[in-house]
Amino acid sequence: MDLSRRDFFHIAAALGIGLPSVASAASAPKRIDEVGLKDIYGFNAKGNVTILHICDMHAHIKPLYWREPSTLISAPNLTGTPGFLCGESFLKHYGMKGKTLDAYFDTFMNFDALAHKFGKMGGISHMKTLINHIKKERGAENVMLLDSGDTWQGTGVALKTGGEAIVKAQNYLGVDVMVGHWEFTYGKTRVKELIEMLNAKFVSQNVVGDDSFADDFEELIFEPYTIMERGGAKIGIIGQSFPFTSTANPKEFTQGWSFGLRLDTLQTYVDKLRKEEKVDCVVVLSHDGFSVDQEVARQVKGIDFILSGHTHDPSPRPTVINGTVIVIAGSHGKYVGRLDIDIQNHKVKGYEYKLIPVASNLIPADPEGEALVKELYSPYDSELSEVLGITKSTLFKRDTFHSTFDQLINDSIIDAMDSDISFTPGYRWGTTVLGGDSITMDDVYDMTAITYPNVYTFELTGLHIRTLLEDIADNVFNTNPLYQQGGDMSRLGGVTYEIRVGAVTGKRITNIMVGGKPLNDTKVYKVSSWGGNLQNAGSNLKDSLTRPVYDVTAAYIRRQKNVNISGNSNVRLMDYDCGCPKKGARGC
Amino acid sequence: MERRSFLKGFGAAAACAIALPHVASAAEEKKSASPMAMNFETAVAAITGGKALTPSAKVKMEAPEIAENGAVVPVKVTVESPMSDKDYVKAIHILASKNGNVRCANIYLTPANGEAFFGTRIKLGGTQDVVAIAEMSDGTFLTAKQNVKVTIGGCG
Repeated sequence: MDLSRRDFFHIAAALGIGLPSVASAASAPKRIDEVGLKDIYGFNAKGNVTILHICDMHAHIKPLYWREPSTLISAPNLTGTPGFLCGESFLKHYGMKGKTLDAYFDTFMNFDALAHKFGKMGGISHMKTLINHIKKERGAENVMLLDSGDTWQGTGVALKTGGEAIVKAQNYLGVDVMVGHWEFTYGKTRVKELIEMLNAKFVSQNVVGDDSFADDFEELIFEPYTIMERGGAKIGIIGQSFPFTSTANPKEFTQGWSFGLRLDTLQTYVDKLRKEEKVDCVVVLSHDGFSVDQEVARQVKGIDFILSGHTHDPSPRPTVINGTVIVIAGSHGKYVGRLDIDIQNHKVKGYEYKLIPVASNLIPADPEGEALVKELYSPYDSELSEVLGITKSTLFKRDTFHSTFDQLINDSIIDAMDSDISFTPGYRWGTTVLGGDSITMDDVYDMTAITYPNVYTFELTGLHIRTLLEDIADNVFNTNPLYQQGGDMSRLGGVTYEIRVGAVTGKRITNIMVGGKPLNDTKVYKVSSWGGNLQNAGSNLKDSLTRPVYDVTAAYIRRQKNVNISGNSNVRLMDYDCGCPKKGARGC
Repeated sequence: MERRSFLKGFGAAAACAIALPHVASAAEEKKSASPMAMNFETAVAAITGGKALTPSAKVKMEAPEIAENGAVVPVKVTVESPMSDKDYVKAIHILASKNGNVRCANIYLTPANGEAFFGTRIKLGGTQDVVAIAEMSDGTFLTAKQNVKVTIGGCG
């Protein structure tokens, strides 16, 4: 869809913004209707090498809507720092203007109005057109495409093909190197099969054998790094898979493999690449998370670039710490990060970076990609395209505490299981369904497509529930990024509570109410949960109720037909006044 | 359900333990009946005989930031030392500061060991500091510590 001037008048009226003035300087941000393909492609090319970076695509090979968070809260020492920016604080930090194409992609602001007008984001056929354009501009032999992982999981088509559809998509895009996290939830055997099908190299320095009876005990499971030559330069790429895979996801999938940050060995490989392999540039391809990688840059010396992932942050400008340049490219295929590097005399002399929005209305689809997507979806089309119901309000995923699509899932679970409390995980992947649009089975899978989808129903005492909430809060709000796991708070159905994020561990959560009554520490509650391992803490597991979450949710929406979820959070944030606080402030 | 069996639930099936709840830790202290049970300060004093502990970069401890499995947390301790007859490490002690039984391992060495290194796996009842103490041949005690988080996780 091309945006006409007429379109712009409509949106300008909707948003109450004035007519665009004549651009005074070439660099002035353009209003969204003025942006053309030239602006998206526009880049101040530099040096001899281009690294293209993608992360956290979560198997979205088709374009989608993805609303960024309106609440993104952290420990007070991290508030308003890259990784914990949203809305106005995001725009201010990066010196951006609202109502631009970038602001539509990077923030939740005016999302619904802009989404209706300006369309979906990402999709491999649009990404490929962009990648092809850059390869043509720079010379394909000077360009590489690196993927920070969380690519194989997140949609129905990914789950139903055991990840294979997405590997085909990566091969089509031309991914050169990748690392993993949710990839591992297909299990060790399947991971190895998929790596066989993958044209890219899978590298990780932080996954080692943990089984003292196996041949690979204390040995690396994957190559720790790879060296690629581009533009006459030798570039060393060290892999860092998600350090807490075995804690955040069921251990059964990676039994015998040990993860961890392993900064000691990371330093060893950086030094080895420099001294023995004589590379000209050291890159860490990482799934640590944006705030963790800022800490990695403080502790590990000699890294030129960290290409981060996991926390889904769009970062229009690099963050530089101790000379290490850190970038992260959002999520769900919304962006391709372009990093041009000037390498001279075996050293990095300079760089230029741009986070390029994959605006599917502006970047034409590559026909080959469209055909591939069609082929990959065709066996599942009839199931995935089923319309389950219509939503009145916009269903979204991202927020630190509460999101509307998760509330719909919790409502479905409580309705089906007749439980007092429902836990839905605070993952950061999913989809956005605009108010007034229909909800399809594909949308439900976008929120729930995991290899351990069961909803378990069991009993927990009030004290255990309180303890669990504190434990989860400490993973999300720890003052030390190295002790965080990079997700959001679990979403609770049937419960309201107050939280002081800055309070000490174990003292953050107060005033927990279940069904409108104060939580009783000694009372036994009927609890349902999925996507975690809470069921192992409970007693009296009700096996007869156990069912996959996507079936439970789909059945509920079919019955309701019209879904109307309120945007009211069940969590009261006591030490901040708004969802996107500024650095060092309570407010925005 | 007792706290112990609650923790065991995680340990056995999820293979990871939950952080010690602040509400339950007081009850735990009252109940502890192990003959080995002593608090951290008493355990350190039993090792050092009351001498001061000196934090030192010569003691290098490797432990995960977040335990993959609270029941078997890998800990490695290396102490920089010539291990000569005149200057060697007499012992390496590993302590879990908040476990019911604080002392996890006591390793006695001689110069014949050649290298002051020990690795083991310890059980942690919750998030806490793991502490290594090196008893040197000159009668001093060097130390290093690291906080290890024990969590149910599950919110990736």
